[in-house]
Amino acid sequence: MQVREINIHLKRNFTKWKKFLQFNEIQVFSEKETASIDKTFVWEDNGEILATGSIADNVLKYIAICSKVQGHGETFNSLVSKLENEAAMMGRFHLFVFTKPQYSQSFQYVGFHELAKVDQGVILESGTPDVHDYISSLPHFDDQSNSRIAGIVMNANPFTKGHRYLIEKASKENDHVYVFVVSEDVSIFSFAERYELVKAGTRDLPNVTIVPGKEYMVSYATFPAYFLKDDQNVGRFQASLDGTLFKEQIAKPLNITRRYLGKEPYSKTTDVYNEELSRVLPPDVEVKIIDRKQAEDQDIISATKVRAAIANDNIALVKKYVPDTTLEFIKNNWSELQTRIKEGSIK
Amino acid sequence: MDIKKTALAGTLESSDIQITLSQGSNGINIDLDSSVEKLYGDQIRKVITDTLSAYGIDNANVKAVDKGALDCVIKARTMAAAQRALDTVDQPDWEVF
Amino acid sequence: MEERLRRTMMFVPGNNAGMVKDAGIYGADSIMFDLEDSVSMAEKDAARMLVYQALQTQDYGDSELVVRVNGIDTPFFKNDVFAMVKAGIQVVRLPKVESAQMMLDLVKVVEEAENKFGIKPGTTHVMAAIESAKGVLNAPEIAASTDRMIGLALSAEDYTTDMKTHRYPDGAELEFARNMILHAARAAGIAAFDTVFTNMNDVEGFKRETEHIHELGFDGKSLVNPRQIDWVNKIYEPTKKEIENALDVEAAIEEAHQKGSGVISMNGQMVDRPVVLRAQRVIRLAKASNLINEEGEYIEK
Repeated sequence: MQVREINIHLKRNFTKWKKFLQFNEIQVFSEKETASIDKTFVWEDNGEILATGSIADNVLKYIAICSKVQGHGETFNSLVSKLENEAAMMGRFHLFVFTKPQYSQSFQYVGFHELAKVDQGVILESGTPDVHDYISSLPHFDDQSNSRIAGIVMNANPFTKGHRYLIEKASKENDHVYVFVVSEDVSIFSFAERYELVKAGTRDLPNVTIVPGKEYMVSYATFPAYFLKDDQNVGRFQASLDGTLFKEQIAKPLNITRRYLGKEPYSKTTDVYNEELSRVLPPDVEVKIIDRKQAEDQDIISATKVRAAIANDNIALVKKYVPDTTLEFIKNNWSELQTRIKEGSIK
Repeated sequence: MDIKKTALAGTLESSDIQITLSQGSNGINIDLDSSVEKLYGDQIRKVITDTLSAYGIDNANVKAVDKGALDCVIKARTMAAAQRALDTVDQPDWEVF
Repeated sequence: MEERLRRTMMFVPGNNAGMVKDAGIYGADSIMFDLEDSVSMAEKDAARMLVYQALQTQDYGDSELVVRVNGIDTPFFKNDVFAMVKAGIQVVRLPKVESAQMMLDLVKVVEEAENKFGIKPGTTHVMAAIESAKGVLNAPEIAASTDRMIGLALSAEDYTTDMKTHRYPDGAELEFARNMILHAARAAGIAAFDTVFTNMNDVEGFKRETEHIHELGFDGKSLVNPRQIDWVNKIYEPTKKEIENALDVEAAIEEAHQKGSGVISMNGQMVDRPVVLRAQRVIRLAKASNLINEEGEYIEK
C-alpha cells in the first residue's frame, strides 16, 4: 500500500474519495463538513483506495479502512500516525476525533483519551496540551471542594445586558462563578474582543472568573457529525456530547455543581440544546434555566438583535441592549463592525 | 537547554514509539501509554530521561505512546524529538549519538 | 577485496522501526537500510537516528550492512554519511551516481568522518547506484574510482525514466545497462547487483527476471520483500554436478598443499586459476544453501 496526499477540492478526486467512504458507511459530505479539510491522504494499491483520513484544523476526520485490508489494526495505526505527523508539521499537536462509539477503543489504543461518550458518538483527544493541562491552567479558589460553584458557557457575540443579568444572578446565588467564553473565532466579534467585553462587563463582581473555553466549549454548531446517519438528530447528539464533556471533564474537577442557561424563546435549536443539557447534566450538575432579561419596554434582549441593530445603523437600539462597556467598544469600532456583518465575516 | 517548540517524532506502528516533547517547568514529566507499562514502564522512562539529559534538557513534558519499541528505537525517537524541539535538526549532536 | 556472497540485497525503509528491527531474521546476504526514497523529507532526521541506533544495538548476523544515503546534492547527505560511518556501517551506497568524481566526493566525506570519529581509515566501503544513461556510460570509471568500491547496482526506475521508457516484462529496455554495469564491475573486480522487482503479485515474472540476471552473471538482486530471498537463493543454488566437481577441485588443492606443490592437478590435468575461483564460489553457494555437510560432502535432498 502506498500513501499519498490528494486534493479533494478537485472533482475527480472528490468523487473517487466520496465513493470509497460511502461504501464504508460514511454518508454525509455537506459543505459544512468538508470545507474545513486541510489535507486528505489515501492509501492505495494499484490505484484503488483502501484507506483514507483527513485533517481539518485540529480534528481528524473521514477516517475509513476497507474491510478487505489485511492487518486492519496495523493499517489503522499507520494511518493515524501519518495524520498526526502531518498535523505536527503544521504545528498542531493537540488533536480531536469525533467518531462512532465502536471505534473509540481503536483510538484509545493509539494514545487518544475519551472526553465524552453518548449513544451515537464519542469525542476523543490526543497530544498536548490536554484537558488536564487546561483544567490546571484555570484559576482555582481556596476551599474549592466545599464551595458552591456555578458554570456558565457563553459565546457573547457581543456581551449584552442579558448576559450580565445571567452572570449577576449566578454570582448572587453561588460562592464562585466560572464564565467560559467560547474560543472559536467564527463570530462577528473575535474571541479576544468577546472575552475582553465579558471581563469588562463583570469587573464589579468579585466572585466571577472569566476564562477561555478553549476546545472544550465547542460552539455546538461546529461539532463534526459526518459519521452519523442522515436521519439521526444531529443537534440533539451534539448537545448531549457537549453536555457530557462539560459534566465529566470540566464540572467534576472544578467542583461545578450548577450550570446556568438562558431561556431561548426564539430558537428551536437552542431549545433542544437546553433540553439535552437538562437531561445529561443532573444530578451531578443542577441546571438552572433563567428567563431572558427584558428591556424596560418588555423587549427581550439578545446578541442577534444587537448585531442587527449595528447592521441597520441604529445606535440607539444597541444602547438599549448592551452595557456601557460593550457600547463603548461598539461605538469605537462602528464602521469596522458594519463591514464585518456585511461581509459575513468572521461569519 | 530549553525546548523552543513542541515536537513530535516516531509513529504508532508496531515496534515503534511516538514521542511528543513540549515545554515544561518542573523536571521531566513523562506521560506514558504502553501495553507493557507494568513490565517495562520504568525502563522506557529511563531511556527517555537519559536521552533528554544527554541533550541538556532538564525540563520537559513528554507524551509517549509505545507500541512495543526496543530501547534503541526509544532512544532514536527521543533524539529526533529533542533535536526538533531544540530546532537543531540540521546539526546532529554527535556526542549524543 | 574480500569475496562474499551477495545474492540478495534486501531494502529496508529506514524510518520503519519494525522492519529495521527485524531485518536480520531473513538471512539476506546484504541488508540495505534506506535513508533516501522510502523516507519522506520530514522524516530524514528521524530515519538517520533510527538506523544509527539499530546498528549500534541489533544483531544482524552475517549479513553485510549497507546504507543508502541521500544524494550528494541534498542537505541530508553529509549528516547521513557522518552518522553511518560513526555507526560503523560496512558499505555506504550513493544513489544517482554519474561519474567517478561523485564517488571521490563521497570518499572525501567518508574520510572526514572516519577521522572525526576515530575510525580506522579505509574501513568504510562504498558502492554506486547507477540510475541514468550517463551513469551507465560512465560505469567503468565509476567502478574503478576508488579502492573502497565493492559494487555497482542498477536502479531501473530512474534509469528507464531517463531513457524515456519504462519497465517491460521481457527486460529488453535494461539489456544494455545490465551488460554495461556487469562488465564494468567484473573489469574492476567488484560486485554487480541487479535492480528491484516491485510487483509482489507477479512471482513468475520475478523468477524469470532472476534467472535471466543469474545467467548474465550478476552477483545478485536487490529485493523489496523478504519473501523474495528464498526465490533468489533457489535460483542461485549450484547443481549436484557443480558441487561435486567443486569438491574435487578443493580436494586437489588440499592435496597439492599437502605435497607442498605449487601446481594443482586433477585427472592428470593442471587446474587453472579461474577453475579454482569458480570452485570456491560454488562451495560458498553450496554452503549457504545447506547443500554441503560438516564433512564437506554433498547432501542428497
